Amino acid sequence: MSAPVSIEGLTVAYGDQVSLHDVSLDVPAGTVLALVGESGSGKSTLAHAASRLLPPNARILGGTISVGGTDMAALTGHELRSARGSTVAYLPQDALAALNPVMRIGRQIAEVFTAANGRSDAAEMAVEMLRRVSIRDPGQVARKYPHQLSGGMRQRVMIAIALAHRPQLLIADEPTTALDVTVQAEVLELVAELQRDTGVTVIWITHDLSVVKEIADTVAVLYGGRVAEHCAADELFAAARHPYTLGLLGSFGGARTAAPKERFTAIPGSPPLRGGVPGCPFHPRCTRAEDRCRSEAPPLLGGVACHVVAREATGTGAGETGMTA
Amino acid sequence: MAEHLSGWPTGQAKQLAVRLLLGCLTVLAVLTLTFVLQYAVPGDVARSIAGPRATPQLLAQIRDRLHLDAPLWDQYWRYLRGVLSGNLGESYVQKQPVRSLIAARLPATLLLGVTALVVEIALGGALGVWEALRGRRSTLLTCLNTGLLATPTFALGYLFLLVFAYQLAVLPITTGADAAHLVMPAVVLGLSGVPYYSSVVRDSMTATLASSHVRTAVAKGLPRWTVIRRHVLRCALSPVVTMAGMDIAVFLSGVVFVENVFGWPGIGQLQDQAFNNSDRPLLMGTVIVAAVLVVFGNLLADVIRVAVDPRARQEASA
Repeated sequence: MSAPVSIEGLTVAYGDQVSLHDVSLDVPAGTVLALVGESGSGKSTLAHAASRLLPPNARILGGTISVGGTDMAALTGHELRSARGSTVAYLPQDALAALNPVMRIGRQIAEVFTAANGRSDAAEMAVEMLRRVSIRDPGQVARKYPHQLSGGMRQRVMIAIALAHRPQLLIADEPTTALDVTVQAEVLELVAELQRDTGVTVIWITHDLSVVKEIADTVAVLYGGRVAEHCAADELFAAARHPYTLGLLGSFGGARTAAPKERFTAIPGSPPLRGGVPGCPFHPRCTRAEDRCRSEAPPLLGGVACHVVAREATGTGAGETGMTA
Repeated sequence: MAEHLSGWPTGQAKQLAVRLLLGCLTVLAVLTLTFVLQYAVPGDVARSIAGPRATPQLLAQIRDRLHLDAPLWDQYWRYLRGVLSGNLGESYVQKQPVRSLIAARLPATLLLGVTALVVEIALGGALGVWEALRGRRSTLLTCLNTGLLATPTFALGYLFLLVFAYQLAVLPITTGADAAHLVMPAVVLGLSGVPYYSSVVRDSMTATLASSHVRTAVAKGLPRWTVIRRHVLRCALSPVVTMAGMDIAVFLSGVVFVENVFGWPGIGQLQDQAFNNSDRPLLMGTVIVAAVLVVFGNLLADVIRVAVDPRARQEASA
């Protein structure tokens, strides 16, 4: 069940606008990677690319997405169809929109089983899946339509659909964002529990650092379509290095602890437009930006992509020569 | 809401009752408006019945018999009472009850309308689905649709007669009411609705194809055709059904031209005769029947829409 996931040099473009530049990530088997970033950072593009659900105007220009030895980026036709759901499953953000409004819940889950191997007991297995995602009275819920369920229930149904195929990788695209806080916690707990039981590898996309704290083993911070920082979750909160991550943590801490009327800490400026700027995508908002940051995109070295951090880590002269060589 | 409605029928039945009542009001409004309009049209009814050389005594006698000298509201009231008791009056020219004249023609018009609707749904639906699945607009189809929109139904009718009946001689040019005579009027009437229909189907399909739940269906690993059949077509149906209901009204206006061009013995032809003869009761009768059919068509579309879409069921009961 559990498989290591390795993304190498993934580049994705919408038309001629590149929204994901040469992204490389590693997720050890059976762990949870949190993918953090603001709107336009490319996190949803990565989710759609890895589950091969990109809209028709988007293209994977290069790179591999290896899930337990299968390169998802290279699959086509029948192989791609059978890999969908069984190798990689996708858990969307808005469960109401993601369910077919005119089909009963039970049938929507059951068709996963009938698609895979034409099982005649698909209906019973659908009810069993509903029970596994802790839905009370699953037999009755299976006969309902999506609009008759609550938001939390619908997201549980989506989880049941995603996990029905026993996938190796689950991509959760901000599945708790549309839910209210108490339901959010329940859904998060449920996924964490199912993840432990099944050992599925998870890429959890979020802009909420509290979710990272809750379930992630490792974290990747995306900014302007590039990986800014990639490290263990504990490390992020204890010793983040990238200026953007530090700003993110600063505004998160501020929002959490700030007394009323006290100002939130925010990162100055606004996120980049798609297509972006030459050099490090963060340099227009970065307080530590140097000349080099404006012309040359920093490579990911030791889990962080920043010229300044790299130079400080290795000493001034060595960093310069090491980078230019 | 439930407290207020205790003792009342359930939401759906109540909704239906309200629609029926509104439908009756619509028919009444159409009846009143047509009645008033007829009197705004110049012309002496008595003379058109009796002919140009009728004596003044005869004209007076006719006016007296038909209450033509009575005030408008009195004539209206007489007519309305007749309609409510199922009596649509007697044709001035054909000297027969309007009800039996219409009853004799109605089946032919209904047959033509339903066949045209089938042609429209099959052809417009197929073109709309094709264009939606294609992913981008087809220049050929846009030209075809614009051409059809720009061509009046009667012109298209004569074109068909010229090509298929006269030059190719594959279809009858004569008047008749059998299957061979049905083909051309049904196709022409159906074609007149194809541009609207294919656009509605295309837009509805395109929106559904881009929706999040279709992405879910793809993510499940379902074959493409299963996704389209099970998740796209079914969800795209709702606006299409509404459109078909409204098309009954469009066809009833088209039917007057088409039936006359092809000599199809239906209500449209009857209406044309009535208009030319200033045959007021007959004209009123055909207008009322058309209004009833339009109301009924829209009602039927609503009922079908509720049947195919569980969300509409909830709206109806909410």
